[in-house]
Amino acid sequence: MEPEIFRRDLGAWLDANADELTPPYEGLASMDVSMEHYSRVKRALYDADFGRYGWPESVGGLGGTPLLRAIVGEEINFRDLADPNAWTMIEVLAPTVIDFAPPELSARLVPPFIRGDEMWCQGFSEPDAGSDLASLSCRAAKTDGGWVVNGQKIWTSFIEYSQRCVLLTRTGEPDSAHRGITAFLVDVDSPGISYSPIETMHGRTDFAEVQFDDVFVPADRILGEENGGWQVAMDILPYERSTTFWHRGALLHRRCSDLITQVAASGDHDTAAAKAIGQAFQSIVAFRSRSRDTQHQLAAGQQLGVETSVDKILITSAEQQLFEAARDLLLGVIEFDEGLTAAQWRTDYLYSKAASIYGGTAEIQRNIVARRLLDLGPEA
Amino acid sequence: MSEFIEADDMALLAASFEAVMAEAPGPGEADQALFDLGWAELLAAAPGPAAAMVFSALGATGSAATLLDDVVAHALGMPISPDVCVLLPASLHAERAAPQSDEPRIFNQEEPLEISGLVSSRIDRAATVVTVWDKESGPEFTSFEAGFLRNRGATGVDPAHAYRHLSVRVAAHFLTPLEAEATWETAVAAARVALAHQLIGGARWMLAEARQHALDRVQFGRPVASFQSIRHKLAESLVQIEGAASVAGACVHDPDPMLAALAKSLAGQAALTTAAHTQQVLAGMGFTAEHRFHLWLKRMLVIDTLFGSASSLPTEIGQDLLTRGTAPRLIQL
Repeated sequence: MEPEIFRRDLGAWLDANADELTPPYEGLASMDVSMEHYSRVKRALYDADFGRYGWPESVGGLGGTPLLRAIVGEEINFRDLADPNAWTMIEVLAPTVIDFAPPELSARLVPPFIRGDEMWCQGFSEPDAGSDLASLSCRAAKTDGGWVVNGQKIWTSFIEYSQRCVLLTRTGEPDSAHRGITAFLVDVDSPGISYSPIETMHGRTDFAEVQFDDVFVPADRILGEENGGWQVAMDILPYERSTTFWHRGALLHRRCSDLITQVAASGDHDTAAAKAIGQAFQSIVAFRSRSRDTQHQLAAGQQLGVETSVDKILITSAEQQLFEAARDLLLGVIEFDEGLTAAQWRTDYLYSKAASIYGGTAEIQRNIVARRLLDLGPEA
Repeated sequence: MSEFIEADDMALLAASFEAVMAEAPGPGEADQALFDLGWAELLAAAPGPAAAMVFSALGATGSAATLLDDVVAHALGMPISPDVCVLLPASLHAERAAPQSDEPRIFNQEEPLEISGLVSSRIDRAATVVTVWDKESGPEFTSFEAGFLRNRGATGVDPAHAYRHLSVRVAAHFLTPLEAEATWETAVAAARVALAHQLIGGARWMLAEARQHALDRVQFGRPVASFQSIRHKLAESLVQIEGAASVAGACVHDPDPMLAALAKSLAGQAALTTAAHTQQVLAGMGFTAEHRFHLWLKRMLVIDTLFGSASSLPTEIGQDLLTRGTAPRLIQL
């Protein structure tokens, strides 16, 4: 399937089915409503086959390169048809589960996720293991037929809507760092799992803190090897930073275009406004170009690694620059205005502050670039 | 023909071009040696990949060869020759000098014409000058003999490169109108992409110097490369370079003028950021004339200014976007 033909056919289908696919709400809906619509869009794409390309046949897909998935998410984000953060979860989690789960397990569990019938979440960070993820302490102990998990996770998105959770646990000695971590695919309705939402500063409750009290996980839910969980975590990063970033780049492009339209319509812009817009757009184009190169490497079967930290730093800069420009140019809108448009700018502006924190902080990314790409030797 | 030049062949060619650039004592010798090596044929056969490879090498070696004149001439469908020099009109090379009024740029045909703009050091050797008038009806091309402009004008911050500003009056009957096969916009785009590659090549050279110095220089009993503030400066430089290099690379197959402007702007920003960080990491050594860093810093200042700078281009791009009222999708999978 040629990407260009796929994009054209997909675009025609999205246009033809706009009535069904356009969200039944304007602006920001409640999480319940936006998740329901997300599932509807996902299911419609699956039934029309567009949502099956780029996934292997072993999990109900129709094959083809991940470029096809990148195109689907891009077009969804360009048209603002579904919650962008919900859309990212599948790209973050499904490819790695396919890589590491026993084939019969992924054949059974992944298809409902791809169809949009299920949602999955991620249990990686802990209150005391943020940037230093390898120090995590949520413990999995062996028991008859499986494992017993005890501990805490934080920043888990969408757990309220999720059926499964990709979980990192400590299975080695407490100080075994990245050598003693094991990954599991856990059912969220397992007895002993409880969670409480975290209210965020942008007004959405995307996150939760999760408690595991004697949670039994069957032995066949292990991902990869015992004490091989770090490889699973590292396998996720390149997927997260290729397809998912490409999708978010499309969202930033759309919002940049919105800003241009709004500023142009106001008719009131000086050289400084043009410069701020030019700089924001330039950062988005730099990111998208880099991300396209990364997408093509992934599609060619190359192993992506630490060089994707460059993509992460570029998209973070682009996102924060764009929404700072929006705040400057739409003077007072973010601070004072009512209405859906203002609410969207306000939410996006505030959410952009998280961009240099989630998925590895801006500082951690620069440490990686310095150590691994510039080969500057160990830090003091 | 571009499809027939394989990546391996390009790498081999790049090595030969870099060797010639490194050896030539001055821009005249460099131009001659590069023409002997087949620069004109390569540019004619595969303009995009040729400019990318050769201008990256110019940036990496610090060569003062004046090949930009050829890129512009070729983009306009004019002959590629070391005897042809291009005068870049002041109104088209930098926003600062853009015409502020509607005054016609061409005067009464009976009177001498005032020509103002930038020329490379090729003016000291070339036979013919090609330039463009920014007329109300659109750009108009003209040529005249170069002889009387030799060795004139101040050479500025980068005497080795010797781009200089000239302002002269030429009698109208000395001018020969030229038919260009392409628009001035096409030539500007080609020049911007070539210069973007030169800026990126220069930035990579500076970053490599900074990196090596940081590893070698010991203070407080350890290499300064072990300090996070220095690591992050160099990391930031690499990220900007890679972002710019990706866009410049995309231009090789996509002649969109806005993409070319973006590539030049990003590359200028990456080069200036890298220069500032390199200066700081080299510290006292970077302030001496003994270390070659200052040659690159000065070259980057000049290259950044030609055909729109990292400071002026975002405004130009932003104004274009505001006129369109929407952001074009420039990068497709």
